[in-house]
Amino acid sequence: MTFFAPFTIPFIVGGLFMFAVVALKWSLWIVRLPRVDRRLIRHNFFTRETLIAVWEVVRESLLHVRIFRVNPLLGFMHMSLAFGWFLLIVVGWIETTAYLGWQWVPLQGHVFFKYFMPINGIVGDIHLFEHLMDALLLMVLTGVALAWYKRVRSKAMGMRRTTKHVLFDRVALSALWFIFPARLVAESLTAAVHGGGGFLTGSIGHWLQTLLGADVLHSLYEPAWWFYSTALGVFFVAMPFSRYMHIFTEIPLIFLRRWKLHPTAERKSYDRFEVEACSRCGICIDPCQLQADLGMNDTQSVYFLRDRRYNMLSLKVANNCLMCGRCEQQCPVGINLATLRLNSRAKRRNIPHEGRFKYLRGVDHSSGSGRVGYFAGCMTSLTPAVQRSMQHIFSVAGEDVWYADRDGGVCCGRPLMLSGETDAARKMVAYNTDLFRRHEIDVLVTSCPICLKVFRESYRLDGIEVLHHSEYIDRLIASGRIKVQTETRTFAYHDPCELGRGCGIYDEPRRVIGAVGRLLEPRHTRRDALCCGASLANTVIDDGQQQRIAQRMTDELVATNCDTIVTACPLCNKAISRAAGQPTEDIAEIVAKNIIV
Amino acid sequence: MRNLNFGYGISRPRAIDMDNNDLRKSNAIIHEMPELQACIGCGSCTASCTAGGITDFNFRKLHTAVRRGEYRGAYEELNKCMLCGKCRLVCPRGINTRAMVMLIKRKLGDY
Repeated sequence: MTFFAPFTIPFIVGGLFMFAVVALKWSLWIVRLPRVDRRLIRHNFFTRETLIAVWEVVRESLLHVRIFRVNPLLGFMHMSLAFGWFLLIVVGWIETTAYLGWQWVPLQGHVFFKYFMPINGIVGDIHLFEHLMDALLLMVLTGVALAWYKRVRSKAMGMRRTTKHVLFDRVALSALWFIFPARLVAESLTAAVHGGGGFLTGSIGHWLQTLLGADVLHSLYEPAWWFYSTALGVFFVAMPFSRYMHIFTEIPLIFLRRWKLHPTAERKSYDRFEVEACSRCGICIDPCQLQADLGMNDTQSVYFLRDRRYNMLSLKVANNCLMCGRCEQQCPVGINLATLRLNSRAKRRNIPHEGRFKYLRGVDHSSGSGRVGYFAGCMTSLTPAVQRSMQHIFSVAGEDVWYADRDGGVCCGRPLMLSGETDAARKMVAYNTDLFRRHEIDVLVTSCPICLKVFRESYRLDGIEVLHHSEYIDRLIASGRIKVQTETRTFAYHDPCELGRGCGIYDEPRRVIGAVGRLLEPRHTRRDALCCGASLANTVIDDGQQQRIAQRMTDELVATNCDTIVTACPLCNKAISRAAGQPTEDIAEIVAKNIIV
Repeated sequence: MRNLNFGYGISRPRAIDMDNNDLRKSNAIIHEMPELQACIGCGSCTASCTAGGITDFNFRKLHTAVRRGEYRGAYEELNKCMLCGKCRLVCPRGINTRAMVMLIKRKLGDY
């Protein structure tokens, strides 16, 4: 049997084209990987990580477990399309083998088996497979129906807003929507003409038989298969250039990630895997406060990745992001959205002359001496109450402290990094590292979460423990080095982005507040906490827009009916103080006020 | 003004000749971020400046000069900025000074 009919041509051509393009893309991306990354692949290939990656592919590429966590119905939609289609292919292959035994059947023979089977008069106990294949088709059709429904009412699936798509996506999407209804029609017509079919196609076939005459059925038969094959072919051709490229990109991405590859401050070939693994599901849109509070609809991660992929990224889109990380922690593909955005900014940085920041040489404004260093941070110099409170706490605890920047210091470098000026930031990093080493500190306490994150991630401070002051105070209380009295006030705590999502510090500040008074939580809290809007990462929004974001976020804190709003970041402190009609304090302040001398 | 220099001075004349200054870059900067015109010259940005604590970097002076079309040395001078963002926080007019630094550098990069 040749398993050939003219109608299979669109499918065969489309399929070959798709596999050629995907193979080309994969090989180009792999070949262009930097040597370090290729060494990582070789090194980690024969390890347990590879097996874990296989399991993750099943969980995420087929079952979409992470989307279930966002919304069960949305998860079911994605699962029924991906896993359902996958099972249709696998069970279809088993079906062919069950009928024809171990013999080579070309791909179209498997896909259009129903077409080839009745004509060639294969008979036998067909019901099991017929029903099973019908059940799987029904599963995929449910997914398609849900996808249609999502167009009309996305809220039912927990999404207030969905992605605006580009032309290629629309073509591929329309083809995808037609594929399975077309298959249903073609197989039902086949059942009507030749008999057979499971509970779905068989019943519809029977109904069509009673409804239409034999000649009508015969004239519809071939066109129906043509249509099905064409829908598949169109989808395959559009697929590598549309969002559906994620199907074949997420799989290698999961393996590469397990082999410890990751994006860096410089763009590299690995980024292509992350960028094209985005399915533009749009889950990142709702968490974005630029969307929710300012109504901006072109800058969210999904659009950023889309623009970057098609080489149409504007400076404005690259810069218009608070880097709060709310989208990143929701992304079902786990794309490193912040790093990708930063290295997009870095690509457009201005490249200054080598002598930049030469003035740093020999500068040392530090004072005091001790094994503990205190780096207040630039922003903390605008909240002197925090600095005074920390000095008070240090003196009560009897700590000898070296103050790195009490009389003005040098920036930690993260603001430059956030603007993509990574090479300039390296000079700050070198300067501060040298300063800390020269003063021989063991512990570095900072009051600014922005500094904290860069100290932990980009500095090489082996032998120096870096702590945020909330962690440090928590330790002082736990070890009994300072004692605090409990007061009657209630405190609502705001998680700063850089401290919470950025450094994973949620419990320490809460324990400290709990020691002083009663802790209240706003509606969005911990990993889900809102951004204050004052983020240094965004240079596009203006003052009024910053205030609107701060207002919406502060309203949630005020709604707790707390006596005082507490936070642990000088920048958040400034933003909330401006928006709230009540005093805002830092963790250090409430401790210093209640410390027992 | 250069015509009125009798040749005895040892300092360069401080007069600004708006007729001779090329304001195209300045206008482009103002066009992209008109909010700079809201500046009242209070100097809060300069007073709070981290780089200003170490060097004589003076953002108020710089952007004023740039607006007048005096670009010489502005790009090199602006590279002293660490982008820490304190100036934006203290600006009483809510000017996005941090973006302004980056914008002026971008516009004057090839000057």
